[in-house]
Amino acid sequence: MKPRFQALLLWLAVALAALAACRSEAAPPRFPHQLHLASIACGVPGKPACLSCVSCHDVARHDSGQRMPGAALCARCHQDAHQVRAVLAVTPTRPSGEIAIDHDKHLAMPEIRGQCVPCHAGVVDAKRPPLPPMSQCFSCHEHAEQWSQGQCTPCHEPEKLRRTMPSTFLKHDTAFLRHHGSVMAERQQAQLCQSCHTQAQCQSCHDVTQDLTVEARRPEKLESGQVHRGDFMVRHAIEARSQPARCLSCHTVQGCDSCHAARGVSANVANPANPHPPEWVGANTSSSNFHGTSARRDIVACASCHEAGPATNCIRCHKVGAYGGNPHPRGWNSARGEDSEMCRYCHE
Amino acid sequence: MNGKSETYVQLYRRALVPGQNGQLVPTEVALPVHEYLFANARDVDAPWQKDSIGLEFAAWGRYWPTASNLERPFDGDVQTANIRLEAGPAWARVGRQQIAGGAARYARFDGVTVGASHLGFFLEGYTGFTVLPRWNAQPGYHHLGSAEETLLIYQPAALNRGNHWLMGGRFGYQTPHVSGSVSVHNQQTAGGVDYRNLGLDVGAQPLKDASLGASALLELDSGRFANARLWFDATPHPLFDIGAEVLHSEPALLLSRQSVLSVFSTTGYDELGGTLTAKLLRWLRFDTNGYVEAYRDTGPGARGEAAARIALGSDYPTFLRVAYSRVIAPHNGYQALRVSFSRKLGQRLSSTLEAYGYFYDNPVASYKTSSVYAGTASYQVIDSLEVLWSASIAQSPYAASDAQTMLRASYHFDAPARPRQRW
Repeated sequence: MKPRFQALLLWLAVALAALAACRSEAAPPRFPHQLHLASIACGVPGKPACLSCVSCHDVARHDSGQRMPGAALCARCHQDAHQVRAVLAVTPTRPSGEIAIDHDKHLAMPEIRGQCVPCHAGVVDAKRPPLPPMSQCFSCHEHAEQWSQGQCTPCHEPEKLRRTMPSTFLKHDTAFLRHHGSVMAERQQAQLCQSCHTQAQCQSCHDVTQDLTVEARRPEKLESGQVHRGDFMVRHAIEARSQPARCLSCHTVQGCDSCHAARGVSANVANPANPHPPEWVGANTSSSNFHGTSARRDIVACASCHEAGPATNCIRCHKVGAYGGNPHPRGWNSARGEDSEMCRYCHE
Repeated sequence: MNGKSETYVQLYRRALVPGQNGQLVPTEVALPVHEYLFANARDVDAPWQKDSIGLEFAAWGRYWPTASNLERPFDGDVQTANIRLEAGPAWARVGRQQIAGGAARYARFDGVTVGASHLGFFLEGYTGFTVLPRWNAQPGYHHLGSAEETLLIYQPAALNRGNHWLMGGRFGYQTPHVSGSVSVHNQQTAGGVDYRNLGLDVGAQPLKDASLGASALLELDSGRFANARLWFDATPHPLFDIGAEVLHSEPALLLSRQSVLSVFSTTGYDELGGTLTAKLLRWLRFDTNGYVEAYRDTGPGARGEAAARIALGSDYPTFLRVAYSRVIAPHNGYQALRVSFSRKLGQRLSSTLEAYGYFYDNPVASYKTSSVYAGTASYQVIDSLEVLWSASIAQSPYAASDAQTMLRASYHFDAPARPRQRW
């Protein structure tokens, strides 16, 4: 595919996406609560009994679910079953899952006096949200300490908070992903992180022993910071050079080499393909011999192919008595004696 | 108790490219089927204390029905299997593939972790085996983090697990506004010390909308910092979030102490950068970040991204994000444009579309560009069951054309053992 055509396709995708995003959205119809509660003639002879919220929403007896009325209840007055089904199909989104609230207890409180609307203002005011926001709960309940520590239970079920992020000091936006490991480390991991996260969730990103990458398993997560999305296979060498050792937070250098070896680009296979540019290494003085500069800058990249214990070909030139010179930094000192196995590779 | 099952069926054709010494290699049609299982029980009553037992289990399995030179017909692993017990201020966790954080931030182990906390102070200790052979003792698979070892063309020497163990501990203090810990980690391998580090981690929230933190990993053998990071986040105005970060790293010190390359002269690098988020309108947000790397002996590197994010609607949300990225690194760099779009099409139907374009500074395998187009459609069959279909096509220096598709079925179950307490 030619670059110009590719760029055209990309911009076409941008334009189509922008067009789709700006397309006017037909909001689903709201249930006419006000009509049912206040505009139906009722309570007089010949008219039905007046409706209240609990006439339809059995909030006290149902322990879970949306507490929405069934079609049979509506059918007592409405004959059009199709319309009833269409109206009942629209339910408010609960991004944070079910809230563990005792409606009976709240309705009996003197401050509330059986009134649903102060909390559920959206049912009579289309500009207000259909379900009360959390600030509504906090207007009476003081949970400052739990809030600041990110403790969502027992009001929320942690498993239902998949899309809800803390918004105080634990907020998970800006650069949180870059230092979430530090946050996990500096606090008592057992209590704080695990109030929402399980170990398996950590492993879902960090465990590279699994066969499918997190990018493959979660293709719909467009906003999550998945570093291997897109054309990572081609980019990976650039990314590794850009931030030396960053790969080591999940991968081992052996992991790099096994993949490189399978592709014949490793010092550990017979007759390997040489990925290095000309004059990368050379014994003669006319050679630029710039592998040393690159190695000092990013030795992990070297290790990704040349990490082979005593068989490491770096030793051939850099061991004691060879012509490669002393590879240790100036003022090098080590707590290990030269009789340690690794030191003996060079100091025979 | 809750659990989750995810079944993946993929279809694609693949090859190891570019092939050894540039040779053409045969391609394989792949139709792998993966199953991921997760189960978690929490707040189980113990005889000595209420709500004091937690259990967790996660595993995956794979069936490879088509003929392959690289893959086994059946494979799988247990990723997580542990039990957590609490008694007063103390707790213990025993099981597989645990993480300890602090100085052990890159290690995981099969073993035991114990801890206790009192008046904001906490103390933890852990020990276990670093090496994690797979449950079915697959040949050539020994170390955690070495899934790619399955691609090895030679049989690595079998490892004695008893030589690969670790232990460490952490002491710290935590309040809602200040926290910090100091930790030590010792990891052994067959040749001797693998890693021996000291970890320092501190965090603070001096203001309601500002927090800062620092972490450092000191390699005790050399007495130098393998990496050290200082970061700061703040919301100076409701419309803006800012963050800043400084990082110093010496890559050689993150290698095993048994790596001969770890004692070679290296220079390390420093990175300085930050993020800025501007939530200008309820539906419009701009995200930018930029980082500059300074290497001692070579030229600087840099990376950055600028993105605009539009989110419209609440009942049927629509999301659009356009991002431009730039990476400058030694020998090569790239510019990238990514467009992401998602829309909820109905009460139960959602979809996403993505387009990526990469433009490399220098050709990779003679090509200067690559592009990826991907999309998903998901349908919530019932509250606990979702089916997702995804597909992608790509053109890259390694593949003239690449097409993949996947079907995923996710099933959640949530079974409270007793009625939830209602408030």
